[in-house]
Amino acid sequence: MDTLGRIRQLAAKEFSINPEGLDPKAPLDTLGIDSLSFIEFMFKVEDEFGVSVSDEELKTIKTLSDLERHVAAALAAAGKT
Amino acid sequence: MRRVAVTGAGVVSPLGITLEEFHRSLTAGRSGIRRLAPELAARSGAQVGATLDWNPAPHLKEGEAANLDRATQFALSAAAQAIAASGLPMKDRDRVGVSWGTGMGGANTLEASYQQTYGKDDWRMRPLTVVMSMSNASGSNVAVRHGLRGPFANYSTACSSSAMALGEAMRTIAAGRADAMVAGGAEALLTPGVLAAWQALRTLAPADAADAGASCKPFDKRRAGLVLGEGAAAFVLEEESAARARGARIYALLTGYGNTCDAVHMSRPDRDGQVRAMQQALAEAGLTPRDIGYINAHGTATAVGDVVEAEAINAVFGQAAREVRVSSTKSLHGHLLGGSGALEFAAALLALEGVLPPTGFLEQPDPACALRHVARQAERVSPPRAVMSNSFAFGGSNVVLVATRG
Repeated sequence: MDTLGRIRQLAAKEFSINPEGLDPKAPLDTLGIDSLSFIEFMFKVEDEFGVSVSDEELKTIKTLSDLERHVAAALAAAGKT
Repeated sequence: MRRVAVTGAGVVSPLGITLEEFHRSLTAGRSGIRRLAPELAARSGAQVGATLDWNPAPHLKEGEAANLDRATQFALSAAAQAIAASGLPMKDRDRVGVSWGTGMGGANTLEASYQQTYGKDDWRMRPLTVVMSMSNASGSNVAVRHGLRGPFANYSTACSSSAMALGEAMRTIAAGRADAMVAGGAEALLTPGVLAAWQALRTLAPADAADAGASCKPFDKRRAGLVLGEGAAAFVLEEESAARARGARIYALLTGYGNTCDAVHMSRPDRDGQVRAMQQALAEAGLTPRDIGYINAHGTATAVGDVVEAEAINAVFGQAAREVRVSSTKSLHGHLLGGSGALEFAAALLALEGVLPPTGFLEQPDPACALRHVARQAERVSPPRAVMSNSFAFGGSNVVLVATRG
């Protein structure tokens, strides 16, 4: 499964929503994901991919597709792609 | 004076996860106490507990459950049951509050975080650690889940926590500060560290050699200490006239609440403090000892505690102590600590229907505990006018509730 697919699956489980219905370009708050829930979700994403996303980067993540980009970049930087 | 009716109840207990199941188990005298898992027993030194086979799936979505402490999961289930049973219209949620009790709050979350940090030197903490473990997490989640915007309070007075939550909720409604309250308590602390701490106090009963389920024997000469349990109970309390006007089922009226502090010793109970709490509750309910048909005793099965409580009951009830039936249902569901007052209030509601739950395994009553026991088997009687439930805590907090037939 690709990175976005894995992120969508994690998000679906965390927020009890259907992965098919998740629009990767939708702002997270329109998906009903608040800042605290998102920080907990990021913790699980970091675990899943074995990467670390800095506080600065975190502030720029507004959608799941933003998140995918950061995770992909972190994986590339760690030589995990 | 605004009177307060109980119009809904919900239970998550070692004896079943609905009020009806809990009442059936009490009626049958079934015990929810069992041997602890070998690893838990080996690490803590405790041998038995009243543990729940908990599956959050029917109550909570998978992702939700992973982000809530076990105590909060119990609380949400019990509160949802109580609210559903009450049929409370919830027209004005600013006038509905939450009054909750718990001894330790999110003990499982806290202990897991300690195991990770100090145990494994892994300091990368879950972001939800604070909001999952804080003492008000279970009550606050109940408020959030149901949008209850009225008065909120969380009581943490060890074994009297949730009884106090009920009593204070009653006061809140009586004073006109809310029209209804969801009141109750939850506890989930059967973790290796907490069990080891209790074991260090030398108050936990060892496993009964013949029957682990019979390890807790309040008022019996053979009693050897308490058995810890876990669970939650919740009630909807409502201003009586509103409840009657909407045709709600009235389980009982909560008419008396006594609250005193021994102010003598952190763990040794004091007769006088208990006496004053029972007297306060009777006076507030406008009842005399003869009106009380059943007492759900605190009765933890410790050597000293049971004797002091029996003396206190005799001091308050005098001649009427010969008539009033007494039992400690902790023999069956264990000691839920902060959740015990609420769960035992649910047991007292059964007595109000005329089914007096027993003190399990009481075969050799201690003469120093001179009470009219409901021993081993439930007794069926004509429904009493009123019942009493005692909750006495470490720290010297004494809470007594009186419920009257509605």
